[in-house]
Amino acid sequence: MIRLLVRRVLELVPTVLVIVVASFALVRLAPGSPFSSEKEIPAEIRQKLEAKYGFDKPLPEQFVRYLGNLLQGDLGLSTKYPQRTVNEIIANGFPVTLTLAAVALLWSLFVGITAGIIGAIRQNTVWDHAAMTAALVGISVPSFVLGPLLVLVVSLRLHVLPPAGWGDWQHVVLPGLTLGTIYAASIARLTRGGMLEVIRSDFIRTARAKGLSEKLIVWRHMLRGALLPVVSYLGPAVASMLTGSVVVEKIFNVPGIGPYFVDAAFNRDYFLVMGIVLLYAFFLLFMNLVVDILYGFLDPRIDIS
Amino acid sequence: MHKTTFQSCVILVLIFTIATTTGCQQQSSPYFGTVKPQHGAQELWINNSSEPEWLDPGRCSDSTGGEIIWNTFEGLVQAHPATLKPLPAIATHWDISDDGRVYRFYLRPSFWSDGHPLTADDFVFALQRLVDPQTGSKYASNGFIFHQGLAISRGEAAVDTLGVRALDSHILEIELVDPLPYFLNFLSFYSFMPIPQHLLQNLQKRGIDQDLWTRPEHVVCNGAFRMTDWQFRQHMTFEKNTQYWDAASVKLNRVRVAMVESSTTAMNMYVAGEFDWPGGSTSLPAEFMDHLERYKDFHSHPYLGVYFYWINTTKPPLDNPLIRRALSLAIDRDSLVKHVTRGGQIGSSDLVPDGLAGYEGLHLPVYDPVEARRLLAEAGYPTGQDLPGVTLSFNTSEGHKQVAEAIQAMWQQELGITVELENQEWKVFLANAEQMNFQISRMGWIGDYADPYTFLELLTSDCGNNHSNWSSKTYDALLERANQHNDPEERLKILRKAEAFALEEQPLIPLYVYTRTQLIKPYVRGIWGNHQDRHPWKYMWIDESFDPYEESSDPVSKSRKDIQVHE
Repeated sequence: MIRLLVRRVLELVPTVLVIVVASFALVRLAPGSPFSSEKEIPAEIRQKLEAKYGFDKPLPEQFVRYLGNLLQGDLGLSTKYPQRTVNEIIANGFPVTLTLAAVALLWSLFVGITAGIIGAIRQNTVWDHAAMTAALVGISVPSFVLGPLLVLVVSLRLHVLPPAGWGDWQHVVLPGLTLGTIYAASIARLTRGGMLEVIRSDFIRTARAKGLSEKLIVWRHMLRGALLPVVSYLGPAVASMLTGSVVVEKIFNVPGIGPYFVDAAFNRDYFLVMGIVLLYAFFLLFMNLVVDILYGFLDPRIDIS
Repeated sequence: MHKTTFQSCVILVLIFTIATTTGCQQQSSPYFGTVKPQHGAQELWINNSSEPEWLDPGRCSDSTGGEIIWNTFEGLVQAHPATLKPLPAIATHWDISDDGRVYRFYLRPSFWSDGHPLTADDFVFALQRLVDPQTGSKYASNGFIFHQGLAISRGEAAVDTLGVRALDSHILEIELVDPLPYFLNFLSFYSFMPIPQHLLQNLQKRGIDQDLWTRPEHVVCNGAFRMTDWQFRQHMTFEKNTQYWDAASVKLNRVRVAMVESSTTAMNMYVAGEFDWPGGSTSLPAEFMDHLERYKDFHSHPYLGVYFYWINTTKPPLDNPLIRRALSLAIDRDSLVKHVTRGGQIGSSDLVPDGLAGYEGLHLPVYDPVEARRLLAEAGYPTGQDLPGVTLSFNTSEGHKQVAEAIQAMWQQELGITVELENQEWKVFLANAEQMNFQISRMGWIGDYADPYTFLELLTSDCGNNHSNWSSKTYDALLERANQHNDPEERLKILRKAEAFALEEQPLIPLYVYTRTQLIKPYVRGIWGNHQDRHPWKYMWIDESFDPYEESSDPVSKSRKDIQVHE
């Protein structure tokens, strides 16, 4: 197990290196400069600004310097927020995005699995159809439609929750629901499918023959097998909740790192773009690793080592 | 399945019934959203649209930073909240030399928020720092009006040769390059605020990065409010600065400034009462304009900014001024602002907007398709169809796209010219503008001070912001002559002549003058609509006796009677 982990972590190193080189090259190939603006900056001042960030040096030298700093955990300075380091910006925003994703994940798992189970054990009844229709609607409604609708009804008409902002638990609810719903819908369908596959298998029949209660069969035997497709879906889903939070964070003015994905690139905030890309790349690779390990626990047939 | 669909429909209908019935209640109110303050007494909740780049007066170059600096720092003069006329601030009075180039300011005894006395040296330090290339200020050019400012920024002169001197601890002398009649108005700009030299020295001694001096744990200021909390990209909190020289007239105790970028989100928060005023720098979404106009808390006023198209005058066929003028005259600006921009903008063919004291606008025709066709025929293209391809570039934005599409259609319809549109990402757009790699390019220009020169300077030959490749010695000489002139009236006449001369050549096509649309809760007093969109919190207050059922007047005009401005 430990050997596997070490091997998998070591395998990440070349992947991360390729990502660093590729994103550094891409971000620098883009036309424009972090210091271009509609109002001209005197040439001497611009040179000073470029020198401050080391942009006056040849590109290979800048890359080596960046890599050196990266190895020491220093992601550099932001040009858009000159009083903040990229480390500081990520440390500020990432926990927020994680909180939002965690709420969205819990919501999607709770709703999705519940609806999936109901759909499967009450197959082809009104309950099943209702759950699957709701799932279809959930998948079809994008967050930029669902978010404003929730704000309109819950905040502006019913005055139950604040329309935007961050700080209290009330602020997490609407963005969490908006972000999680689309995944809840997918999870419901996957759970239902997984359950239906397992429901007629031999080991369930054996469990019933042993006289186990229906509740125990559903929770311990069926669900465990049925959740495999959900688990493999969760890895990319969590990663996409983090990256896909861009829209939700804009709508609800959540100070996470989602918007940087787009804004930092538009602002040519070189180090911030690199920092965010690296963070997400690392997170994606890490989630895949976690999913592989979870597989081993859920399905005894899979030997992870 | 049918039963399920029916159930879903019932739920949806229920949700919308709740939404619409509560909606009906809201629509009957003359105000947009709640009119009950959601916070404590004499507290104000506003929006400042985005995280500012710098809160350091010497380095700030964006309006969001400017908004904070204007309320936490105070310069030699301050702009009158309604008329923008320069009023005494840290300087109680001043003398001007006969040639109009040397100003002597007499400073009142005042203190920084940490109790340290403020002296003329703090201004000398701040202004030297502004032009010092080591500072790397994007707005260093604001300091080029001072004697030696330009030379210092180029590293050709020592910083202490700047024409800003402390004659004693409370007398400051400023020597200008030219006798600029707009100098006092410009002096209230945020670049010219004092900087607490003692704080920066102290931080250096303690080994703390001086760039961090505006963080709440360090900051020392001299304005009406001081920052007590700064949650990155969320909100800032300000409290009344008890050390401020005019603290007695400041009524608000606390101001919470959020940073909400989306104008729709800001509007929602206003409706819910989380903002008393979504702020000067947040524009309201254009698609809501027709709906919002009916409410009493909706306000709009002209703004000192012009939306225009640069023309690259060296690229054929637009190197011909006749074609450039034809293009300008074929645009129906009134229709553009009425049907496309819809924010109350004012269609205009002038470069200098109306409303600048003493300046009589040119008021050139905003639409004349007959003359446009005549000019085009004179240029040799009677039908317009054989005119070589023209491309119009704009930066990615729904608003710019709609304007460009409308103008593309007008040129096609009126002149028979086919124009290609090119949508570019902001930094690519800027890079192309810098390298003159375009034919027609969108731009907006906001005046930094209330004088025509802030717009007319754009077309001078050595102006780095001139993206037309048009240069004229006659025009440069006219502007130079105007700036040397000591008689303000005569000077404005020369400037007017210069504007007429330039627009005859049409190196740019002005389209409209900006407006600011605002939502202000009716219980907020002390906000005036002015064309530089400056709204000092110093004069604002919460009218706790406000009764929404009483016929109340517009808070913008009511303020005038309520506030005593020190003159």
